[in-house]
Amino acid sequence: MAIIEVKKLSKNFKVKLKEKGFKGSIKSIFKPKHKIVKAVKNISFNVEKGEIVAFIGPNGAGKSTTIKMLTSILFPDKGSIKVLGLNPMQDRKKLAYEIGTVFGQKEQLWTHLTPYDNFKFFGAIYDIPDAAVERKIEELKVLFELDDFINTPVRNLSLGQRIRCEIVASLIHNPKILFLDEPTIGLDPVVKENIRSLIKRMNKEYKTTIFLTSHDVGDIEKLCKRVIIINNGQIVLDDSMENLKYHYLNKKIVEAKMKEKINLDDEDGITILKDKGYNLKIEVDTTKRSVADAIKLLNPDNIIDINISNIPLEDIISNIYKNKD
Amino acid sequence: MLMAVRNQIKVIFLSIKYALMRELLNKTTFLSNVIFMVLNNSSMIIQWLILFSIRDNFGDYGLKQVILLIGLSSSIYGFAHFFFEKSFKLSETINTGKLDAYIVQPKNILLSTITSDIQVSALGDLLFGLIVYLFYGFSFPSFILYYIFTMTGGLILVCISVIFHSLSFWFNNADLGADTINNMMINVSTYPDSIFKGAVKWLLFTIIPVGIANYIPVKIITSFNPYLFIINISVCLLFIVITFIIFYKGLRRYSSSNLMSARI
Repeated sequence: MAIIEVKKLSKNFKVKLKEKGFKGSIKSIFKPKHKIVKAVKNISFNVEKGEIVAFIGPNGAGKSTTIKMLTSILFPDKGSIKVLGLNPMQDRKKLAYEIGTVFGQKEQLWTHLTPYDNFKFFGAIYDIPDAAVERKIEELKVLFELDDFINTPVRNLSLGQRIRCEIVASLIHNPKILFLDEPTIGLDPVVKENIRSLIKRMNKEYKTTIFLTSHDVGDIEKLCKRVIIINNGQIVLDDSMENLKYHYLNKKIVEAKMKEKINLDDEDGITILKDKGYNLKIEVDTTKRSVADAIKLLNPDNIIDINISNIPLEDIISNIYKNKD
Repeated sequence: MLMAVRNQIKVIFLSIKYALMRELLNKTTFLSNVIFMVLNNSSMIIQWLILFSIRDNFGDYGLKQVILLIGLSSSIYGFAHFFFEKSFKLSETINTGKLDAYIVQPKNILLSTITSDIQVSALGDLLFGLIVYLFYGFSFPSFILYYIFTMTGGLILVCISVIFHSLSFWFNNADLGADTINNMMINVSTYPDSIFKGAVKWLLFTIIPVGIANYIPVKIITSFNPYLFIINISVCLLFIVITFIIFYKGLRRYSSSNLMSARI
């Protein structure tokens, strides 16, 4: 059963234009010019109960705008939305009891209060009796490993600890759907990994449907079974993670700094992207050759430094467009 | 419905309690803010004492009425800024996308937003208002009326602020206009209405409703008039209704923002 139903959804923003310099500022007072930015263009998709869906795209693609329309923050210009059978615009309060939200770029917690006090406050917001809130805090404290800092003011927490607390605060009322808007933004790889495993555990333990926006390919690779890619306000791909991996995430970029120059040519599964003698950048097609194999070719003893990364999201999107053509 | 109202009030008071807890982290600053506000307001009384040493009255206001007006104005300001401080910074909340946090909560958006912070020095205004009222002369009926009008006046002040700040949904820099109106409300509220004439007086009973919030209550406390009492309460309710209509109308145009922000 679809828990989120989006049909032909569109949202435009009117943005004021200003010519450069002081003259432009004066001119804009008397002759203001505006342009219409089409943030979301006629998109449709469904999300099933218990799914972890990644809604990804580059900056300005329309991810946050969509998530904000799904959570009652923004009014759509066209189209219809049903979240748990409710219309976010007409049933805002009812829906708020059923969903949780975490915006990586915005704090919902009071920074001078401890996470514990914050959780109690959120309990009151969702009209949960004190005893039930205490029980829930205890349960989430264990699941999210908050024991060390649950009584430390939020302003003294690291970014990773804060995001963990933000997620816990959004789970106090047992939401059926959790909307996570770039929850790993600004986090280091270790903390990112930690947050991802917690999100996964939460989905498993509570069967919470998770709708996640991110422009980090790692987030989707580790978490999701289904991916929706949005670019310029339009959905360019709605597919399973398996298919995406097979078709588009089958390449890794290996950048290595070498002790000695090596002569490496393009061969099956390996493409040389950059060869500056001691610095080498290769693309490994993982369907044909494993990354470990590629490293063996470089000779691990000869490597001073190495970095393995996914191909950028922008490249995946352009590949999707190419394949469509 | 009653349960929802009770829960909303609980959240409002919890929000105020937490904001107060934050301020109490620094006791010295907290106390000095309150005490200096009382001292600052006392200077107004000194001014008027000097003026009354020159003249016996200003229009139909004697020294006692002026003292009552200053005390009530101070209480009104204190009530509005202590309980609804964010209504005076609403434009910033709208423009920086901070409304998001309140929209996703199952509570009234406007009430949750404007009660999410306090101004500590407003406690000094409330304290000063109480001292001045006691100086004016305590009686049980006038005490009840004094605090009813503190609330109605405070709510009118908050409504005016919310209405003008809500224009941010439509225009940039609406906060400038809102701040100007708020400052005008405060500036004229400690002068007797009898010194204002013509268009200014009309303004004081319409767009800048100090007349309804401050002058009429002083008249009612000094000599009870049920007709004026009903006008005061009705206008206050009317302002509340208009405020909610304008805010929610504007909310449909809310465009949020992705600016990094923290709740401090």
